Amino acid sequence: MIVLLISLILLCPLAAFAIFGLLGLAKRSFPRQDYLSTAAMLIALACSLLLLQEVVPDPEPHTVQWLSLGSVTFSMGFYLDSVTAIMLIVVTLVSSLVHIFSMGYMHGDPRYPRFFAFLSLFSFSMLFLVVSDNLLGIYIGWELVGLCSYLLIGFWFEKDSAADACKKAFLTTRVGDVGMFIGMMMLFTKFDTLSLYGEGGIFAQAAAQLSTGDMVWLSIAGVLIFCGAVGKSAQVPLHTWLPDAMEGPTPVSALIHAATMVAAGVYLTARMFPILTETSSLVIAYIGGITAIIAATIAIVRFDIKRVLAYSTVSQLGYMMLGIGVGSYVAGLFHLTTHAFFKALLFLGSGSVIHAFHAMHGHGHDDEHGHEHDDHDAHGHDHDENHGSEPVLGSEIPPDQDMRNMGGLRHKMPITFITMLIATLSISGVPFIFSGFWSKDAILAGVLGRAMEWNSVHHYLLFGMALFAAGITAFYMFRLIFMTFFGEPRNQEMHDMAHESPKSMTVPLLVLAVLSFPVVNTLWFNADYVKPPEQPHLHAPAHAHVSPDSKVGEAGLTFSLFGISEAVAAEDGADDTHGAHGDDAHHGHGPAHTIAMVLSIIVAGLGILLSWLFYHRRTLSAESVATTFRPLYTLFWHKYYFDEFYNGVLVAVTVWKSRLFAQFDGTIVDGIVNGVGTVTRDILAAFVGVFDNRIVDGLVNQVAEVTWSIGGRVRRIQTGAIQTYLFVVLAGIVLLILIFRVL
Amino acid sequence: MTLQHYLVISAILFTLGIFAVLTRRNAISILMGIELILNSCNLNFAAFARFMTPPEDISGQIIAIFGIVLAAAEAAVFLAIILAIYREFGSIRPDEVDTLKG
Repeated sequence: MIVLLISLILLCPLAAFAIFGLLGLAKRSFPRQDYLSTAAMLIALACSLLLLQEVVPDPEPHTVQWLSLGSVTFSMGFYLDSVTAIMLIVVTLVSSLVHIFSMGYMHGDPRYPRFFAFLSLFSFSMLFLVVSDNLLGIYIGWELVGLCSYLLIGFWFEKDSAADACKKAFLTTRVGDVGMFIGMMMLFTKFDTLSLYGEGGIFAQAAAQLSTGDMVWLSIAGVLIFCGAVGKSAQVPLHTWLPDAMEGPTPVSALIHAATMVAAGVYLTARMFPILTETSSLVIAYIGGITAIIAATIAIVRFDIKRVLAYSTVSQLGYMMLGIGVGSYVAGLFHLTTHAFFKALLFLGSGSVIHAFHAMHGHGHDDEHGHEHDDHDAHGHDHDENHGSEPVLGSEIPPDQDMRNMGGLRHKMPITFITMLIATLSISGVPFIFSGFWSKDAILAGVLGRAMEWNSVHHYLLFGMALFAAGITAFYMFRLIFMTFFGEPRNQEMHDMAHESPKSMTVPLLVLAVLSFPVVNTLWFNADYVKPPEQPHLHAPAHAHVSPDSKVGEAGLTFSLFGISEAVAAEDGADDTHGAHGDDAHHGHGPAHTIAMVLSIIVAGLGILLSWLFYHRRTLSAESVATTFRPLYTLFWHKYYFDEFYNGVLVAVTVWKSRLFAQFDGTIVDGIVNGVGTVTRDILAAFVGVFDNRIVDGLVNQVAEVTWSIGGRVRRIQTGAIQTYLFVVLAGIVLLILIFRVL
Repeated sequence: MTLQHYLVISAILFTLGIFAVLTRRNAISILMGIELILNSCNLNFAAFARFMTPPEDISGQIIAIFGIVLAAAEAAVFLAIILAIYREFGSIRPDEVDTLKG
């Protein structure tokens, strides 16, 4: 049953794509590719919901042998635990809604069928990644979603900026993927397998290895695998591709760059949870925390509605990483789930706004996307002209995405407004009735709980970062809402043309809005259902304490970089029961939970209040604050100069290096090749030519001449007179008779 | 009349035929020579059949009849060829038809 359902989930989207591909070979496309792809996703969604009942606490992977190289065998298979089941629902649900939304949003696009085919391919790849029970399968899915991301970001490849953005996304994530591959190879070298579960799987072997205390290489492998997640989930320092990826169509941003693919990094990190050592966990937590703050502060000063959401996504992904890094496995995954829904909603809502503004061009509903292409082309030209002064990708904002052109849209687009408001309340952490509050609070409580339990400075610092980021999140999200939907219209012409989107777009918004309430999420996500896997070394201090007679635990401590905090924790946490960590991580550690909740409500309220004062009441002026803190503002505006750094250093070095190599190629390699060529042509070839002309040709000609002259003589015999021949024949016979007579 | 008489006459006929074939300048005369050769053969068949085999075996005589029929067919074909040659070359002298001369 499980195998059947999972196969259906995988094969439906793949079939939808395959039909497009096969018909594409015949240079035509299925007339209703959109219905086909959407139906495939709805079937997959139904199967995912059925699968929810099939989950058992400690499942076995379903594998088949895939390929055998020498003594090593690779297998492919499914692994269905609660996390897989939830991810399947998140992916299929968001994907189905995005499919439906795209029918409205992409309507009239010249490559409309192709868009849906790519969405299907993406869904298949993502689902494959999610259900794989081994690192190889995950890696294959991982690269496939990267490919789909590339194809879909560059879907409007007529735009230079889109073409640049898709290349940037592909190359930047590739940097992380190399790290991930090296990490995989390390694990493979050590364990001789890439399967994660079951007997002899990586986790089982790692657990056995950990008792020897040799954790350094495992830390390195963990961090390297996390590199892949850094690339894919747009963590600092590889986050720069995600905001530029907003050049893709908005449904793509919602599906790939908000809800599913970027969350794959978080999913991978969560999957690798059992082999994360304390050191690698701390690295993950720090990367997550830093990402959360950096992205949130950049989002404050953006005016492009999609880029605000992009940085918000980066920031929230940092949150999830932070949650997993401090051992709050369940909280991290819970935030992944809730975030997928409300961020997809925010993106689709922004898509609805952008769609509304397309009407300002005065075109009918049908050909507006055709026009959009012209429009984007024009941007492309602007981009080219500005290339000298503004080399950084994506620095100019299309007018239909510029929040400075919006305002007062709440009357024009009531459904979009209400649904986006719900999502904003959710992401801002408005207490109790919105899902975002619970998931974010769970992470905050997890961080604070870990800090209090271990009395670790690192974790207190991380908690501060997370709290700060939470406040900023509330601020910039309400800034977006106020600038877009409240106040007076800033651009009357565009405002007059704005209109509510068609049903195909508003219905997914409404569904996602319902999903932003925690009650709905508990249908598939509750603490009894999701259990964190064993991660003994994260609790190394307690482990060491309860078994003082084994030298093993002590050895593990000495390898840790953070031995001091552990030692302290080991003393303080003497009475702490070591068995209940997993549940603690989710429910908060008693007082930690309350403190975290109160603090998060305060910072969220503060953020919203400030945002209200700045952008609605306008009692405070954003401009004057910006002037006062000019250096800080400039830093945020230039996105911490990451792009400038990469362009100025990495790109420049690469270009310089390439020039050097080109010169090397041009002078030395080409010189050698040309020299060999000259020697061959002028000396060797000349000699061989003479030999050929004189000796070989001479021989052939001589033979021909001899034959010719012999032929010239012999031909005289043929007189043509038939009586002569007859006479000769007769003479011959007479001769023969005479001879035989004589003999 | 013994077998020798027949063979001598046959040999004379054959020689005359060969002589005609080799020396005549007219293709029709050559045809006549060939007919003489064929007839000398037929004579041989009949003579050998008469003297060398039992009287009831007449296969030699039958062969001779076949030879006569063959000669008639051969003459028809030969005359047709001569006609074609005459159309092509305007002559029936074999020494003038020497296109295959080397």
